[in-house]
Formats: sequence, structure tokens, C-alpha cells
Amino acid sequence: MTVAAESSTIRSRRRPRTVRRALRGSVPYLLILPVIVVITAILGYPLYKLVTLSFQQYGLPELILRQGVWIGFDNYSSVLQDEVFWRTLLRTMIFTVANVGLTIVLGTSIAFLLVRVSTWVRVLLTAGLVLVWSMPAVVAVQVWYWMTNFQNGILNHVLTELGVGDYTQHDWYASTFSKLAMVTLLIVWGAIPFVTITVYAGLAQVPRELVQAAEIDGAGPLRVFRDVTFPILKPIFLILTSLSIIWDFGVFTQPYLLIGASHVDTTNYLMGVYVFIEGYAHSDFGRGAAISLLMLLMVAAMSVVYVRRMVKMGETR
Amino acid sequence: MNVRHFAAAALVAALAVAAIGASGASGGSTANTLTVWLQVDAQSGWPEVVAAASAQFKSQNPGWDVDVQYQTWGTHLGKFDATLAGGNAPDVIEMGNTEMTKYMAAGAFQDLSGLSFPNQSTWLAGLAASGRYGGKLYGVPYYAGSRVVTYRTDLYRSAGVKIPTSLAEFTAAAKKLGARNTSKAFSPVYVAGTDWYIAMSFVYDYGGKIASTRKGKWVGQLDKPAALAGLAAYKRFFDAASRASKTTDEARPQPYDVYAQGNAASIVGPGWFSCCVGNYKAQTAQFVMPSRTKGQPLPGFLGGSDLAVPIGADRAAAAAWIGAFTDNASMTVLRAKGNIPNTTSLLGNSVNERAARRSWFVPTAKNWVNVENGNILRTMLSRILTNKMSIKDAAEVASDNIAFTLNQ
Repeated sequence: MTVAAESSTIRSRRRPRTVRRALRGSVPYLLILPVIVVITAILGYPLYKLVTLSFQQYGLPELILRQGVWIGFDNYSSVLQDEVFWRTLLRTMIFTVANVGLTIVLGTSIAFLLVRVSTWVRVLLTAGLVLVWSMPAVVAVQVWYWMTNFQNGILNHVLTELGVGDYTQHDWYASTFSKLAMVTLLIVWGAIPFVTITVYAGLAQVPRELVQAAEIDGAGPLRVFRDVTFPILKPIFLILTSLSIIWDFGVFTQPYLLIGASHVDTTNYLMGVYVFIEGYAHSDFGRGAAISLLMLLMVAAMSVVYVRRMVKMGETR
Repeated sequence: MNVRHFAAAALVAALAVAAIGASGASGGSTANTLTVWLQVDAQSGWPEVVAAASAQFKSQNPGWDVDVQYQTWGTHLGKFDATLAGGNAPDVIEMGNTEMTKYMAAGAFQDLSGLSFPNQSTWLAGLAASGRYGGKLYGVPYYAGSRVVTYRTDLYRSAGVKIPTSLAEFTAAAKKLGARNTSKAFSPVYVAGTDWYIAMSFVYDYGGKIASTRKGKWVGQLDKPAALAGLAAYKRFFDAASRASKTTDEARPQPYDVYAQGNAASIVGPGWFSCCVGNYKAQTAQFVMPSRTKGQPLPGFLGGSDLAVPIGADRAAAAAWIGAFTDNASMTVLRAKGNIPNTTSLLGNSVNERAARRSWFVPTAKNWVNVENGNILRTMLSRILTNKMSIKDAAEVASDNIAFTLNQ
């Protein structure tokens, strides 16, 4: 009796302590719980819906009944057997490499220019860059189209007046290549400010004495960039390139609006446009979901490969 | 304890948000408000007809209100899909006649058979056909438009050109007009290269077709001799008459803008193009685009709209509003604005109406919309006009693509 009573008091004395300890241990988790719940709700749930949608036949009739038909991997196999998908993928990859390459090279060049110019030129340039960056894509497309318009475009007028050649009625959107080249120009123009301003900020962190030391040792500007500036700025380039790849690979607004709804076709699809046409325009939401998940996987894979390579390069140095 | 309460509250709130997101704005339209989706054409062209119909509907159906929402052609189907998914589709929707089949086949609309509408027995046959599917009535004809030539009387007169009565005469006239103004920006007859509504008119004029059914399957017809002859005629006409971009469409730029800038002696398009001719109002008239057969009109695309009642809507109320909106009084105003009314009883002898005597319509297949938004015909036309492909090769590719898309 007494032993039992004693042991029970010991137990009851111990219990609050473990509960309190457990509670204290779970506080961090409880604190991040709301964030996790919110993220799950606004990111996880749509993703879950997208995944389930991609395994269903979900067209207009299903949309109306709000009930899809489970068809396993049929959407995926039909997409992967579609010649248009593979050609679009290849085209988009080339397009992405060109766009990211041009953006990074031109953006970095302008950043170096910013370091050299006088203060007021720098202020002027920066203001211009910020204006470009803050221009909504839809407005930019419209202005761009007006300028390059076949019938009344100012570009044709100026080129003709300058005596470059007779550009009256020159069609800047005549071929697939020229269409995508115009889109590239527009995207690179819009993306340069972000790269320039970021790289310019990064350049401030390159110690002057390192550059000077290299110069005293006889290194030219290119050598200084390769062996001093670039290694220090590598993390910045890594982030800029990864972000640019993600943006340019899935770009939709510029190609769809600039090429125009009446002219996007299988010969000039980019992935973003392709998924829109297949999913929304053709009301085949299941197939559209499958394509967007494939795109998601590809972007993730590209980013991982790239990040790992850059990290490894950093370690071997 | 507080932390747990807070966490629990946050969890409940987050789940509630997720649940709301998942269920969407369900429940259909608010009781006693009729939601009507019309195209902006009605807003800019005949708002008084809309207002009169709503007023009439409200006086006959006390307790009802009408909410007219204006949509644009490019985006209304995407929005409509979203409302179908959310269960809050409008009660009445204006649909382009080429858009109807896909939605009728999918079961998006309510069967209106058995209800009576004004002038039902004299509805325009071509337009009424676009609202029927499987023997049932899903769309009430609203109005149609044909395509006519809007031209500069002063330029025609000074070039010594009379109103042409055949395609050959029209081509000769275009050459004369072109010789008097050789500027690269000036078109005797401005036609955008990939304007497939005009190009297909040539195909139908030569006895060709876009596609036809055989044993329940669609077969492309553009690679057949009659269609090829029509495409060749279109290319000859374009080369002689239009200096527009061979790859652009009829919306960029708008033909009437080119005309208003003095860069075209004539444009081909809907009758209402005469609205927007700038300073040339006094020198502008219209004629029927001639066929290769003298005295006949070129078969024109009969564009038009139907009014449909999506599932979930109040069928009787929606039909009552449609009835008020398509009665004789409304149609008389629409006709006066240069449209073709939905009933033959009001047809007269305007340029518009004469042009509508020969017309063609797109294949009534549920996937036809995919041929349009896949731009298969436009791609073919730009390949032909720019000589990137021979007419035969380009037509074969397009014909295969069309058959594939329609049979999907």
C-alpha cells in the first residue's frame, strides 16, 4: 500500500516534468507549423491537384461534370510520343541557352561599364535600367510590336531614313527564326537590368587591392576578370544563371503576345506556349497538367545539375 | 498552452482557406439575377438594344435583375471554362458560331428545344444550323455578318475603274489602281496574307472544301484539285492586289486603319468596316466581292453569333431574356447598324445581304476550334504566299493536320 502510494507519487511527480520537456521540445515545431500549413495549402494542394489531374482524362465534358476519368499514364505516354513535344523541347532549350547567355553577357558588360563611367552617367543609366525593369511585360510587348510593325513601325521608317536599306514594309515576323529572334531581343532587353544591378552590387565587394595586385603582376583586364573578379562573383552568377534559366525556359507572356495568338503554331511553340495551347486552348486539362509536370521536373533537373557542378568547381579550386 | 491554441487556430484558419480554395465559388448565380455575357460588339455597337431587352425582361419578370457583362472574343472561352469548373457559369452566353459545336458536344448547354422564340420559323438557315447538335436546339441565332469590299470611290474613279462583277475584272482593276500608286505601303485591295476567311472563300468559289466526313471520320479536302485551284487563285489575287504582309493576320493591323491612313484603295471585311475610315467617310462605298463566275458574289464566310444557356442556369428566365433580345424590334436596329438579322423576314437588298447569298461555313466538328487556335490554315497560307512551300505541299500538310485534329 505505502510502497504503491509512494511509487505513484513519484510517477505523478515525474510526469509533469516529461510533459513540460516534451512541450518545450515541440515549441519550435509548433512555431513553424502555421508556415508549413500555409505553404502546404497554397503550394502543396495545387501541386497535388496537378499531379492527380495529369493521370486523368480531363477535357471539357469532364470539366462540366467536375469528374475526371482515371487513365493512368496515358497522358504522359501520349505527350512523350508526340513529335511536337520533342521539337518544342529542343527549340525551347536552344532558345533558353541563347537568352540566358545574352542576358548574362550583356548584363555583366553593362555592370562593368557602370563602374567606369562618371557619377551622373551612372545615375542616368541606373534610372534607365530600373525603368526597364519596372515595365510590365504586357506593355513592353505592345510598345515593341508598335515599333516593329510591318505597316507603320518606326523601326522600318528609321532604318530606311538612315539609308541602311529600303526597309519599307519589312516584315520582322516573317520566319520562325525572326519571330523568336524578336522575342529574344525583348526578353533580353527586359532581363538585363536585374543582371546588371545585381552584378554591379557584387562588384563593390571585390577587394580593390586584389585587383591591383593582379595588375601589378601583369595581368590584363581579361585575366583579372577570369582569375580574380569571376571567382569572387561566382555565387552571384550561379544564382543569376539559375534564375534566368527557370524564367526563360517557361516564358509565356512575351512569345505568346508578340508572335500573337493568330500566329503561334507547332513551328514556333516554346514550352510555355505549348502547355497553354494543349491545356487551355484545346481544353485538354489532363494533358496540359502532364506537360507542366514534365516541365517542372526538367527545370528542377537542370537547376540541380547546374548547382552541383558549380559547387564542385568551387571545391576543387 | 497559448502556443498550442495559436497553432490550432492557425491550422483551422489555413485549412479553411484551403477548403474555400478547393470548393471554388460554387453555388451558381445569385437568385433572381440573370447574368448575361455578351461580346463588346454589343457594348460599342448597340447598347440601346441590350438595355431595351433587359428592361422588357424585368417588366415581364418582376423580381429579376439583369447583369450584362461584356467579354472579348480572345478570352471569353477561357473564362467560360473557368466558370464551368467553378459551377458559376453565366445564364446566357454569346458564342461565335464556330465555337458552338465543341461546347454542345461536351454538354455545356441546356436543350432549348420545345421553347419558342421570335421568328423561329424564319431563322437564317446557316446560322440556325450552328446552334443545333444531335437533333436538339442549343443556340438561338443572334446575328450574322458577311464580308464585303469597302472602297475609295475617288481612287476608283480617277483610275477609271468600275465596280467589278467578276474576279478577273477585280484583279484587272487592282492592277490599274496599283499602277497609279506604286508605294510599297499602298495596297489596291488590302488583304492580310493569312486572312483565311478570305482565302477559303476562293477555295469554296472553285468548288473546294476544307474537310468532309466519310464513314464517320473527317477527311481533309484542301489537297484536292478544286481546293488547290482555289488556293492558286488566292495567291494570284493577293500578288496582284495586296501589298500587305504575307504573314500577318487581319487584326494586326486592322484593315480599316490601313484604309484610314490612305494606304488602301479597298479593304475586304465585315460590312461595319465602313465605321472606321477616318477622313474618307465621304469617299467610301461598298460592293459585293465578285466570284470568278461573272455576276455572282464570292462565297463569304458567314460569321455570326448564337445565344446559349449554360447548364445550371435558370432555363425559363434565360430563354425569356433571349426572346426579348432577339425580337423584331431588336433585329431591326441590328440590321440598321449593318448586321444581318437572324430572320429572313427582315432581309433586304443591302450590300451585306446580297453578299450573304452565297456563303460557306467551317466544318461542324467538335474539334474545329483546335484547328483555328492551332493556326493550321494561317500557317499554310503564309507558306504558300512566301513560296516557302509549293501550294500542293503546303495544302497536303495542312489537310493532314486538319484531319488529325478533327478526328482526335
